[in-house]
Amino acid sequence: MLIMTNLEKTFRTDLVETHALRDFNLEVKEGDFVSVTGPSGSGKTTFLNIAGLLESYTGGTYMLDDYNVATLNDKQRSRLRNEKIGFIFQSFNLIPDLNLFDNVDVPLRYRGLGSAERKKRITESLEKVGLGNRMKHLPSQLSGGQQQRVAIARALAGEPRFLLADEPTGNLDSQMAKSVMTLLKEINLQGTTIIMVTHDPELAMQTSRNVFVKDGKICDAADVHTMPLASNQ
Amino acid sequence: MFSYYLKLSLKSIRKNPYLSGLMMIAIALGIGASMTTITVNYLMSSNPIPHKSEQLYYVQLDSWSPHFPAQEPNEPPDQMTWRDANNLMDAQQAFRQTAMASSGAVIEPPDRDNKPFMASLRLNFADFFPMFDAPFLYGRAWEYADDKAGNYVAVISKETNDRVFGGENSVGRPITIGGQQFTVTGVLDDWVLVPRFYDVTTGAFKGTEDVYIPFAMKELMQLPNGGNTNCWKSPEGEGFEAFLQSECVNYQMWVELPTQADKNAYMAFLNAYAEEQKALGRFPRPLNNRLSDVMTWMENQEVVADDAQMMMWMAFLFLLVCLLNTIGLLLSKFATRTGDIALRRAIGSPRSAIFSQYVMESALIGVIGGLLGLGLALLGLQGIKQLYGSFVSDLVELDLTMVMLAIALSIVASILAGCYPAWRACSVPPASNLKTQ
Repeated sequence: MLIMTNLEKTFRTDLVETHALRDFNLEVKEGDFVSVTGPSGSGKTTFLNIAGLLESYTGGTYMLDDYNVATLNDKQRSRLRNEKIGFIFQSFNLIPDLNLFDNVDVPLRYRGLGSAERKKRITESLEKVGLGNRMKHLPSQLSGGQQQRVAIARALAGEPRFLLADEPTGNLDSQMAKSVMTLLKEINLQGTTIIMVTHDPELAMQTSRNVFVKDGKICDAADVHTMPLASNQ
Repeated sequence: MFSYYLKLSLKSIRKNPYLSGLMMIAIALGIGASMTTITVNYLMSSNPIPHKSEQLYYVQLDSWSPHFPAQEPNEPPDQMTWRDANNLMDAQQAFRQTAMASSGAVIEPPDRDNKPFMASLRLNFADFFPMFDAPFLYGRAWEYADDKAGNYVAVISKETNDRVFGGENSVGRPITIGGQQFTVTGVLDDWVLVPRFYDVTTGAFKGTEDVYIPFAMKELMQLPNGGNTNCWKSPEGEGFEAFLQSECVNYQMWVELPTQADKNAYMAFLNAYAEEQKALGRFPRPLNNRLSDVMTWMENQEVVADDAQMMMWMAFLFLLVCLLNTIGLLLSKFATRTGDIALRRAIGSPRSAIFSQYVMESALIGVIGGLLGLGLALLGLQGIKQLYGSFVSDLVELDLTMVMLAIALSIVASILAGCYPAWRACSVPPASNLKTQ
């Protein structure tokens, strides 16, 4: 369902050419929980951005649910992001002047759902992350862990097939990180495919598969227990 | 999505009240200045009698010098001689017609406690009133027979009636004008003509006259000339009668010609009249007679002053400067929102939705700025009233058309101003801006 073949990404300036990804091959099947690890600057986030259709690539092919991503225009990519992909960011990326209800509402608005359907989904997803009683709160009134839960609720409300998480516990203490990870595992068990970029070896060990990226390439895809993991930065 | 964008726009304005306020003030200043000058130009150039402006014609006869035209390049005089005015009136070739002139005389109210005062006079024929749709409060116009017989009859304005008769119905009552006793046949209601098209030679933006009396009174009472008098040669002889018979022009002539055929026939009559006068040794220039309908005549006489038009263009330039400032402020405002934009793009917003959201915000700022601008325009018009006095006070008003125009102008202007910043906003690359939050 997510197949990257010989994917390349090169950043060019007048003076420098940087190969962020090269000869990048990856296949993620439905229901996988894949962690992506590697040292800083190895291309993990570039991979995630390309996987999430936030960035274009310069070579190779990327098939997402049988769509050849290279052939899609902005509107089609936006629609694919909206309907199939959910994002979770390290810094939560909530809109500070919208309350929790309205934050979760954002992707549903762009999908054009009716107000009753949106309300149902928002309520369910916020209740799922344990924040059903705080819908009218602003993000600034919540702890970091709670804000990340809101971000997860926002992703879940769209009922995505993929959840792309970029260091989802990077800004959380260990207790909160653990609870967020538990939540992600529950979501995965319910059928959502998750790709998570992380520096934390302990988190990577909890996923079903680890991909180690170095210098823009996948070194190997193997059982997480046998792979060298980057130190947390 | 309209209501969603509106909600987001309101939140954004509340979040940055000072920056948003600055933009609104910039737009308000531009709209205020533009609307003030547009209103003045609109009133100056409006059709004062739209339902029949194409049936009323100003008559020009070229009776001028053989050596030079009345006005370059080859314009006939903008008024006519006493002799020609009377000859055309005697001919009665139009559906309606009136020669006219302006003058002035002292009115002596019957009440001794009420002091005599100088009044503006219009000397005209009976057709004047129906031709120009003069509204009557009491009574009616005099008859053409009164014109022919030289009867001392008068129509007075409402203001004059208030002043002389305390506002009572004065029809049939005597009134002393220039030492002669006239009988009032009618009292006009409030009559505001903008521009006062029937005589623009003395200024198109003056009020209508205090008193209207038959044209023949010019000669009978030897009334002084009002307005412009131009001569291409000196009168042959001394005294008032010699002046009346001279080639000096001081009289206006209007005819009502309901159809094109009527117009053609009247033009043929004018040319025949000119040929007749040539045979008598007058009209030395080639045939150059004119019939101009109301709007053509307004244009010919440049009723909308050049400086008013210049002011309007200056105001538009000022609006442009205000919009450029608004563009700068919008760019600065939207630049602080790259994180928000990147997030929305990441979770499924197409560029067009971001563009629409930010254009909506610009339009909302424009609407609020436009409403403030309307307030400033009202202040500007108050200033014009103070500057130009009581006559314009009844006229310089923002009507519904102007209000709608102001709002439309502010929306269009702010959307135009918002397009570039909104396009910049929707071009924000999401990936590189997501981590900036």
